[in-house]
Amino acid sequence: MFSVGGVVSRSNNKFRVNVIVDRCKECGLCIFICPTKVLVRSGVMNRYGYYPPDPVFIDKCVGCKLCEYVCPDFAIFIEKV
Amino acid sequence: MALAMHVHPLDKHLRVKRLPTIFCSGCGIGIALSAMLRALDKRISEGSVNPNKVLWVSGIGCSGRAVLYLNYDVAHVLHGRAIPFAIGAVLANPELKAVVLGGDGDIAAIGGNHLIHAAKRNFDMVVVMITNFIYAMTGGQVAPTTPYGVYTTTTPAGNPEYPLNVIKLVGALNANYVARASVTTPHLIEQYFYKALAMRGFRFIEVVATCPEMFGRHIGLRDSVEMFSELKKRVVYRHRPSLEEAMIDWEKGIVIGEFVERNNPSFIELLRGVKK
Repeated sequence: MFSVGGVVSRSNNKFRVNVIVDRCKECGLCIFICPTKVLVRSGVMNRYGYYPPDPVFIDKCVGCKLCEYVCPDFAIFIEKV
Repeated sequence: MALAMHVHPLDKHLRVKRLPTIFCSGCGIGIALSAMLRALDKRISEGSVNPNKVLWVSGIGCSGRAVLYLNYDVAHVLHGRAIPFAIGAVLANPELKAVVLGGDGDIAAIGGNHLIHAAKRNFDMVVVMITNFIYAMTGGQVAPTTPYGVYTTTTPAGNPEYPLNVIKLVGALNANYVARASVTTPHLIEQYFYKALAMRGFRFIEVVATCPEMFGRHIGLRDSVEMFSELKKRVVYRHRPSLEEAMIDWEKGIVIGEFVERNNPSFIELLRGVKK
């Protein structure tokens, strides 16, 4: 895991999940919608006092992009490695 | 790999400095907006839409604030008057692709007459109406689209009226494309908006959205995930449903799909006398 410019990224050998920390409003939709339960709520607050998601179980990510589609705040996106 | 900057794929369409948006946590407007931007991105990369000729217009309300985050020509105009503004802009410059974005209070209630006449003229524009069943920004009053029997702050014994079905209204007029999607199906919003961008005439897309803060809090759905999953249970997809099937009822279900698809000549073409 590394963080550049407020973006938290984790990758397995196929996909990389990026969370733009300061845009998140902690609605929890990405955690709810993920079919393989990659994301969990992190314990670190962003600058507005919300807890953004953290892709802890990144090995299970299948790259379906449902979290990217359902995020209302443009805060999470998936890239192919 | 070196430490490269990772940017969101839609950042080039957004005024990034204004983010995060003012919408409440779990609001459906952001989902609809990102789906529409994805469709527009596809059209721009294909070359069928010129990004310098896209105009976004919105009125007042929560949904009206959405266009202010877009890196395009945008206009934020009087309450309910987004459609007349877009008509004026397109008449002055017919090259423009006008997209009107608004809520149900802006487009169906206060701008209702403008909606009817723009649909009657088959005027060249895309209208996206984001329905959250309530006047959310002013404190949760009853709207024309509020379902029957639902508690709002001005109807404490439940809404005594049946809602206005805007899909049936616009479909009965001369509109070329009428569809309804839901924020629980963002791929359908993207697909319908992608299709609508290439058509001519009046194109109307209704997006049923979640509002956990104002609609959900009085009916026990204050949590955004709960509201999202409740709406997901109520949404029914049908392939090419008829206008009679366009039910929008909180108890019985919300039918989504493409209701009307026509290829009638648009107002600008009729004005130029292309089709006699």
